[in-house]
Amino acid sequence: MRPDVSVVVIAYNDARRLPRAVGSALAQSLGGVETVVVDDASTDGTAEIADRLAAAHPGRIRAVHLPENSGGCGRPRNTGIEASTGRYVMFLDSDDLLDRHACLNLLAAAEDTGADIVSGLCDRIFLDVPVGVKGRVRAWYPWLYRNRAVYEALDDNPDLLYDTLSTNKAYRRGFLEEHDLRFVEQLHYEDLLFTAEAYLASGRTALIPHRVYNWLVRERTLDPSISNRRAELANFADRLEIHRRIDRLFEARGAHALGQAKDVKFVNHDLMLYLRELRDREESYRARFLDLAAGYLAGLDPHVFEEANPLSAIAAYLIREGDHAGALAAAEYDPAGRAELRARLVERDGRVFWGASGPSGSLGHRVLDVTGFGFHVRPLKELRPANTVTRLEVRDGRVRMAGHMLNPLNRIGPDAALSGTLEFRDRRGRAPRGRVPAAVRYEGDRIGWRAEFDPRRRIRPVGFVDPVWDVRLRLRVDGEEIVTRPGPGPGAPPLDGAAALPVRPRLTRFAADRLRSYVTEGGHLAFALEAGSPWARRAGTAARRAVRSRAGRLAWRHTGRRARRAKKGVRAALTSKKTKTAVFNRVLSRLPVKPAVAVFESHMGRQFSDNPKYIYRELRRSGRHVDAVWSYASSREGFPGDARLVRRGTWAYYLALARARYWVDNQGFPDGLRKRPETTYIQTWHGSAFKLMGLDQPRLKHGPAADRAKLRRMVERFDCFLVRSGHDVETLCAGLGVRSELLATGYPRNDPLVNGLDGDPELAAEVAALRRALGLDDGRRAVLYAPTFATGPRGRPVRLLDPPVDPDVFARELGEEAVLLVRPHYLCRANVPPGARAVMRDVGRVPDVTPLLLLADALVTDHSSIMFDFALLDRPIVLHLPDGRDLAPGYFDLERHAPGPVTRTEDELVAALAALDDAAPGHAARRRAFAARFGEHDRGSAARAVVERYFPTSRTVRGREHHGRRTA
Amino acid sequence: MAAAPRDVFIVCNNADDMGGLQRWAHHMARRLAERGDRVTLVGITRGDLPHHHDRDGSYAVEVLHRVWRPPVLAWRPATAAQRLNVAARTRGAWRAAAQRRGAARLSELFAGARPGAVVIAAQVWAMEWVRRADTSGLRVVAMSHESFEATRASSRYKRVKEHYADADRMLVLTAEDADAWARAGMTNADYVPNPVHVTPDVHPTLDLPVVACVGRLSYEKGVDLLLEAWERVAARHPGWRLHVYGAGPDEERLREQAASLGSVEFRGVIADVEEALVEASVFALPSRAEGFPMSVLEAMAYGLPTVAFDCAPGVRTLIEDGRGGVLVPPGDTALFAKELERLMEDPELRRALGAEARASVLRFHPDAVLARWDRLFDLLHRDRPSGAPERAARSVPVTEPAARSDSF
Repeated sequence: MRPDVSVVVIAYNDARRLPRAVGSALAQSLGGVETVVVDDASTDGTAEIADRLAAAHPGRIRAVHLPENSGGCGRPRNTGIEASTGRYVMFLDSDDLLDRHACLNLLAAAEDTGADIVSGLCDRIFLDVPVGVKGRVRAWYPWLYRNRAVYEALDDNPDLLYDTLSTNKAYRRGFLEEHDLRFVEQLHYEDLLFTAEAYLASGRTALIPHRVYNWLVRERTLDPSISNRRAELANFADRLEIHRRIDRLFEARGAHALGQAKDVKFVNHDLMLYLRELRDREESYRARFLDLAAGYLAGLDPHVFEEANPLSAIAAYLIREGDHAGALAAAEYDPAGRAELRARLVERDGRVFWGASGPSGSLGHRVLDVTGFGFHVRPLKELRPANTVTRLEVRDGRVRMAGHMLNPLNRIGPDAALSGTLEFRDRRGRAPRGRVPAAVRYEGDRIGWRAEFDPRRRIRPVGFVDPVWDVRLRLRVDGEEIVTRPGPGPGAPPLDGAAALPVRPRLTRFAADRLRSYVTEGGHLAFALEAGSPWARRAGTAARRAVRSRAGRLAWRHTGRRARRAKKGVRAALTSKKTKTAVFNRVLSRLPVKPAVAVFESHMGRQFSDNPKYIYRELRRSGRHVDAVWSYASSREGFPGDARLVRRGTWAYYLALARARYWVDNQGFPDGLRKRPETTYIQTWHGSAFKLMGLDQPRLKHGPAADRAKLRRMVERFDCFLVRSGHDVETLCAGLGVRSELLATGYPRNDPLVNGLDGDPELAAEVAALRRALGLDDGRRAVLYAPTFATGPRGRPVRLLDPPVDPDVFARELGEEAVLLVRPHYLCRANVPPGARAVMRDVGRVPDVTPLLLLADALVTDHSSIMFDFALLDRPIVLHLPDGRDLAPGYFDLERHAPGPVTRTEDELVAALAALDDAAPGHAARRRAFAARFGEHDRGSAARAVVERYFPTSRTVRGREHHGRRTA
Repeated sequence: MAAAPRDVFIVCNNADDMGGLQRWAHHMARRLAERGDRVTLVGITRGDLPHHHDRDGSYAVEVLHRVWRPPVLAWRPATAAQRLNVAARTRGAWRAAAQRRGAARLSELFAGARPGAVVIAAQVWAMEWVRRADTSGLRVVAMSHESFEATRASSRYKRVKEHYADADRMLVLTAEDADAWARAGMTNADYVPNPVHVTPDVHPTLDLPVVACVGRLSYEKGVDLLLEAWERVAARHPGWRLHVYGAGPDEERLREQAASLGSVEFRGVIADVEEALVEASVFALPSRAEGFPMSVLEAMAYGLPTVAFDCAPGVRTLIEDGRGGVLVPPGDTALFAKELERLMEDPELRRALGAEARASVLRFHPDAVLARWDRLFDLLHRDRPSGAPERAARSVPVTEPAARSDSF
């Protein structure tokens, strides 16, 4: 009977692993599988093993021997195709494994769909990574294999070209015969050409998400010899030759679009693979390699550079242009990963470009433009600028180190306050154990540093248990901290083994006596503890032997590891939120209440802002005796000096909450905390609602009952809830399920919007200072752009907010009369290009939005609740709702009740902004109706009303614990 | 190709409760028996409220344990302290011993099977017994009758991954769920939908002003959401009534919620779903979680248009591309109300969707579904290449050495 599937196993000098591979083919859950072992004239007994396997399983395994070695995978596979008989053919390498159900899954899919090729997921298993550790198993292009799919032609999904493995697939034999598909035999990377031909010829290709193939990878541990490296260059030449053949193949079929898709894949995948390894190569290899690559890249359609991933495209483009350093830096830079920024960036015509020399030509302008990455606005520590060591020497027992960190786009100015510390730390420890002050200096496009110290006094290793030491430079720039890891780079002296720092371990010098420098795989400077004197060497050997002995291993396993785990566990348990919540509820809440303490928090401690700020100011103004505690999330900057500050989530924070007489907040104190009855919780909330809130959201309706219960527990704590209008009562209060007293006072933060600044010199000064800081005194109109956050493809907020209008267009059309203040949602950052400074300002850092509203002459927003507040000022509002940004259902028809014009496109927005004055009378009536409806209770006395309602005027009433609960 | 008669064992937690799974098992057994297969339906234990399920004697029904008193789940100590718990350890040993006896009984049943036999473990708890039994020469198919998401959110996920890993095939109800399991590493994942198990003689006229909802009155079935949506609709359509069939823990609360509406009738549990469906014109499925909802399958067979939350791949498969019904994003009660209203106001639309539903549900006709099962049985029993001895030493998919020795 004809087998359903033939598995062609090719082997060359792999006697050890061949039985395992064949075993995986024998163990298939599908019955009708035939295995053909093709031995490529091995010299290590592989042939005998193959024969023995065939003899043991007659009819299921056959062995074929090539008369002479072919030097590749092509001929053995071709021989296997000829020698096998199954209706479908698969390939297996002797060092890999098939999944148990591979044949069954592929055959079932092939028969169900009638496909010529069926492909399943391939997992790479890194044998050097221990079992159970993250990173041991990595899927090969898993995004191609998320769901089962059938493609009638390669045009339906050109991304198939990414998976160029020939092994994780089953091919219909008739299909291979009809199209005479065979592997090329003279070149490496025969897979690439074979799969490209096969995809192109296939009448139907099916994909299944099941893993079918385990590719076992053993990372190279030894450096390959020179001859190997030359062989690698030849390999790369082979790879380019294969690509040229694929290009010709596509060309012959007139498949221009596919050819381009293939080239994009070459840039994104093949080229990057080689470039990322290039840093470790010597100069001659690198030059030759880049030559070869440049030769191929020169022939590519310029369109490919625009289609490829931005950084891959930059790397490819710069290779073509000959800027090798910039190309390598682009290949290594991964904005989401841990890699460092090694490239120079330049600012030209208000845009940011990659590479030292700046772009030339229109293609260069398009490819090298990295303004969208936000290098000019993101915090420096996020950019991780490269740090290069330029000096490392030991003289007379003192170490002299120096180096420089990149200063991208001169973000650090010449007059910045700079200081630095070199930190040495045991790699397994958590905290640095040696600190050395470093002298830091501004040097234009880089920041230089140097340090001189006595390592014997500054660095004290224990010995034996802390063999590896890392170095970091902690740089403080105007209060902001940047931590970088120094390493080799252009102009660096040799670091590997170059210096030995004398040290005195705590376990005496028998443990070790110096730290030898080396360069880590990640390209950073590190030190290894080593023993120089013969005595120390002997002690080290003895210690290692003791640890490796049976008794030592047992002791290590039973005491050491468990003790370390227990210590870690105890630390985690003691500081976890769960523990703090439990202690809060059972212990802290039993401590006596401090009658004057009020804890304030705005947006989970993010800022000193919003309603809590204006209640706090009113308390101070009215002279009431209140011990104010403000909670901050990460930075104390901007918080008032006359209040006690506690960091959110710390023990001090929980203690303050437990003993407070008042909680004042606009979002929510940690859930799980039971509010004691003596505490009055004034929930001010942070805006009227357009978007569905609380239980009105489909997400909560659909979700588990526990989520509703959690919301209910949080809301039940409120003693008072501020509302601005009947709309708030119907929407917010109903959605959140508020059952506390509703205080119809309007919002304290809106008092200045109603009253103006005349009665509030403090705020007037704040607004004036802000106006000056933003440079808004040139008579131009200030237009505030403040949208809510947009969600990206994965439902997460988009991190960089682009201006709604192209800066050039804005400058041309409105530059004379308006300045755009871009205010992103607090989850995003504004990405205003450097060239737009004349007409746009990033006001994301301004903590409180009220002064911004006061100085803005007009507002552009989408469905942010800011429109409800700004309407009180009776100044123009434009609702910019670009198409494609899906509007979640809201509480009312926004377009029908809009307080101003609604725009959909950039042009419409520009036109609306240009015509603000002309259109004013038409929109004024709508705007006033809007303000009256949603700001019904905003009369400018909210802060006073809240304070008078809940905070007693004198000390005489302090005894009444339930004051806040009585009705007035 | 007419399949040769086979021996088929269907193993469930219990074979006589009144649930959807038991309905499926008896229907499947009857269908297989009808065409000549020798079917044995095995319940690990008895149900709480035994039901007859129209048994006609064409297939055998066996029960392994008259009652199951040991702990429901195996004891899995996580910490050293737990390992010292003598009481738990004793209960665990008691459970293992009882399970061994049940598995031995199962092995006896399996031993009488002819070549080509198949064991279908319908639930993960039942699979524990199948794994301990001697299944040499048989093929083991393990099933999960709920969506991947539902399993993922429960403790069953770990048990499914453990007990189903060695099964020759793991079956779920939809392709989307099978893909999710494959991504989670279960390379034996495949799918077979549930067949329609009703053959309607009468069909609703689609003129009576009634919306029907059939299901247990519990949180995951979302009747509270339906009542919310109904609240928006009811006032504008005073003639229309909402019939809610079923019982459950939330009944009282739901009655309270519906009290002010007036147009909602709670009609309790019914034996024959036909009564409920023929007097309705629209079917509502407000569930928060589903597998492959039988109630929608039935409604479609009777030609009722359905409004459902898009809560699981099973629902998407049934109402594919909006044929025979309308899908609403989960939890969006406003849209649910709007879609109900659209159907209530437009008899022509009801008829059009109803006709589509009846045509579309033919995809799940028992013959079509059985053909898929046959293909699967055939794949599992593909012959070895010529000359190969029939698996003398087939690796028995049992990992625990204790279980292996029990089997003999």
